[in-house]
Amino acid sequence: MVAIEGSGKVSRRDFLKLLAAAGTVLTFVPFVDWGKFLPNPAGKVASRAKVELPDGTQANVKTFQVNSSQAVIYPKTNDPTLNKESFRIWQFIRLPEELGGTKNDVSAFRMYSMVCLHLWCLWKYWPDPGRKRGECPCHGSMYDPLTGKAFAGPASLQAPPSNVLARLDLETDSDGNIWIKPPNFSPDANGVVGFGRFLKE
Amino acid sequence: MGLKFTFPGRFVSPLGFLGMITFVLFIILGITGALLMLFYEPELDRAWNSVQNINNVIPYGFHIRNIHYHASNAMVMVALLHMYYQYFSGRYKIRNEILWVTGILLGVLTILEAFTGYDIIFSERAELAISIAASLTNSIPVLGPQMRDAFFGGGFHDFVLRFYAFHVFFLPIFLLGLMVVHFPRFLVFDVPMVMAISGAIMLTGGVFPVDLGTKFDPASPPGITVPEWYLTGLYAFLRTMFDKFVTGVAWPGLFIAALLLVPFIDRYKKFSWKDRPIVTAIGITSLAQIMVTTYWGFYIDPDIKKALLERLVIDPIFFYLVMLLLVPLSFGFTYMMIKLAKNAEANKKLQPKKATGKSSINLSQKWIYIIFISLLGFQVYLNIMAYYAVLNGMKNFSLFIIGIIMLVFAGMFHIYRHGRTMAKAPPPPPSKPLIPPTAAKTSPLPPKPAASAPSTTQRPLAAPPVQKATGNQPSSSTSNPEASSKTQARGAKEAKDADTHNATTSPSIPRKEKPE
Repeated sequence: MVAIEGSGKVSRRDFLKLLAAAGTVLTFVPFVDWGKFLPNPAGKVASRAKVELPDGTQANVKTFQVNSSQAVIYPKTNDPTLNKESFRIWQFIRLPEELGGTKNDVSAFRMYSMVCLHLWCLWKYWPDPGRKRGECPCHGSMYDPLTGKAFAGPASLQAPPSNVLARLDLETDSDGNIWIKPPNFSPDANGVVGFGRFLKE
Repeated sequence: MGLKFTFPGRFVSPLGFLGMITFVLFIILGITGALLMLFYEPELDRAWNSVQNINNVIPYGFHIRNIHYHASNAMVMVALLHMYYQYFSGRYKIRNEILWVTGILLGVLTILEAFTGYDIIFSERAELAISIAASLTNSIPVLGPQMRDAFFGGGFHDFVLRFYAFHVFFLPIFLLGLMVVHFPRFLVFDVPMVMAISGAIMLTGGVFPVDLGTKFDPASPPGITVPEWYLTGLYAFLRTMFDKFVTGVAWPGLFIAALLLVPFIDRYKKFSWKDRPIVTAIGITSLAQIMVTTYWGFYIDPDIKKALLERLVIDPIFFYLVMLLLVPLSFGFTYMMIKLAKNAEANKKLQPKKATGKSSINLSQKWIYIIFISLLGFQVYLNIMAYYAVLNGMKNFSLFIIGIIMLVFAGMFHIYRHGRTMAKAPPPPPSKPLIPPTAAKTSPLPPKPAASAPSTTQRPLAAPPVQKATGNQPSSSTSNPEASSKTQARGAKEAKDADTHNATTSPSIPRKEKPE
């Protein structure tokens, strides 16, 4: 462009061609944003959501047992088939005592995607003494409940971000009810379900 | 488009129309796939169940599904063979680069098409394949996770639905679009060959019916599964546990890019593989490496006492060392083959051609009738067998028999065509030997190869004149056209036929033959 202006040798035809090209580009520019049609927006939740336990109640700091876990569906829909979707199943854990699970605030809780980072089986938390970790039934990947990082099995051998589980951020209200903050599913933030998260520390 | 279908009047080498067979398989897949769409449900919870329903409950669902599955494998295989044939015969030269480039893209899309197809069953193996595909997409730097989201969607429900959409609409439409550019002007539609391929697919479906796999259950450990054969090569790379992007995206991407560039790198002026040693050697190397990695991807250490991971992981140093070792081996092999081929060529030039070198089977009218009627009888018998197999619920067996019926039909059509060509042959000119006695033998031009062949095949008992003739002409090997005037007529016709026969691989030849 600069060269053309400098030399001042733009013929009328070239100028018209440039205008036509610019016009074409401008015509199609608004359509770039239409690419947002492709990703499914169902995973995006704008407001905070309840941690709804399988019995239908909301998880509460005062009642949820230390060193225990429940599978929670998030985001929950009215469609039972969609609710069965592995990618919507999260493990809601209250940490064991030694990891700070007795504190009556949100720091005692963790919520990780249950989809194993290796080949997408569903792992779960085992509270038994000596275990106290997430274990995948398929190929034996093990997860640290404190960070969500795989420390054994095939998932632990994967390069970051594929060795740390996606997580949801939690908060409590004055009654002790636990809520899920609106997530940002990117590897640098809450992570991508089935792919992983960069661990910041 | 100036697209023309030609129906060759006789058998031509199938290598020349492997591309046509790929297209025919595409059509077969389109038809069977459309039928499967009537019962398949692309939904997370029901996909596998609907396939099970098709396979076990819907009448002939088993047949349709097996044809669809085996035709998809055949399509990938035939497309690969087609590519290698074009590669070694240098067909991508003389301004055919666009055909080659679209061909490579068609091949990639074909593999994607086959891949999405076996994923939407949503069995354990399908789930593993989807998860690997998704993690490979995720592993692409910068744009990976967004691309995963855009193309695969949010979760299993989206994956199944979208793979289905890709499988039945997007990819076939792209394939069709590319085919418009890819097709040469003449498509050789060889009916017996098409029938034989279809029959072979059904036969394979009967002998090796494809199983359903186990329904994917995220809470139970899957068995060890390997992907389809066209992806085990890639799987072997992934199993070295090296970086996913490098092994799973960069290597295959490089391979495809190299293939795309072939016509622009190959600067040899000649076509034959013998005259393009480096290109041939690279082709042989790639073939060897594809075969080794494909096999390696299938191989899993059978020792069940070892940990699963230990059995699955391939030692990258050993693996890449073998790949590297294949390079000099393949180059050496190519050198040897070219040398042998050139020697053979030189020898051929030195020695006069043998008269029996290129003979075609030639049947008399009587025998054509006999074979035709016996094949027809065989078909009646096979039809009854197929009927009873269906009645007794023996699905595999009926599919197998229907495959044989197709093959028999291919044979019948071939013989029918042969008979027609013979019937249409112009009335024989007054008999004069094609090969002038003795004088021509010493001339530098060798005699027409097939001139004498018919008399041996048609009248094997006509020994005395043959012997007499060979007495006259020591260098003519078996027989002499003096045998009888009737034989001679056929002989002349056959000589002409055999001449064109030698050149059937050239693309323009089939056009000449247009019956009806």
